[in-house]
Amino acid sequence: MKRYLFVISKAPYASSHALEQLEAAMVAAAFDGQVSLLLRGDGVWGLQKDQEGDAIEQRTFAKTLAALPSYEIERLHACSASISERGVDIDCTLHFESVDYTSQQALLNANDIVIGGQ
Amino acid sequence: MIYALAVHGAPYASDAAEHALGFANALLEKGHVIERVFFFHDGVYQGLNGLVAPQTRFNVDLKKRWRTLSDHGTELAVCIASGIKRGVVDNSEQDRYSLPSTTLSQDFALVGLGQLIAAIESADRYVEFSA
Repeated sequence: MKRYLFVISKAPYASSHALEQLEAAMVAAAFDGQVSLLLRGDGVWGLQKDQEGDAIEQRTFAKTLAALPSYEIERLHACSASISERGVDIDCTLHFESVDYTSQQALLNANDIVIGGQ
Repeated sequence: MIYALAVHGAPYASDAAEHALGFANALLEKGHVIERVFFFHDGVYQGLNGLVAPQTRFNVDLKKRWRTLSDHGTELAVCIASGIKRGVVDNSEQDRYSLPSTTLSQDFALVGLGQLIAAIESADRYVEFSA
């Protein structure tokens, strides 16, 4: 199996993009692929605390992120610059690795396939 | 080489299809094989059977160009999860959800996301055309 990196660079609740990327990541993991996830750009809004998807009749994105390990997706990364530029108030119950540009470069190099890279 | 391609943009709204088709034709000219083009996110609209090319884009009839690629043996695979919620349905989904008509072009097939991974696994290269 190839190593997959799924990139989410669009905000949750603005379009279906982030959720569809997660769905694809879960399928890749179900195929026993090694799957990593990178939130960058507006995608880091997925880490914002106190999300209430119920209020707009949607699944709460942070809860889906929190459930990733049960889908065998253990590697969640987020761009540190994107977080600080936006002042995202992080949901501290989420486990992720904050990565600078150099680490993101290493992440890209360490994977065979990038999906949603733009 | 064997290629797997993906298109994430809607027809005429995004230029993803034009770029993907141009790339695909160049690959075929060089003797490469394109096993499957996978349509994901808003890219699923490429599979609609009712697309009409706008007059400003008269020489870029996407429907015809996708058909030509399909005739060359490339499978045009529309993500079923992304597709049905956007109204892109084949006969069996039309029946399942009691919908008024089929909207998927005959040149395309509705498939699961697993087919994206399967295509990537069996390909030498994966190239994606974002929205």
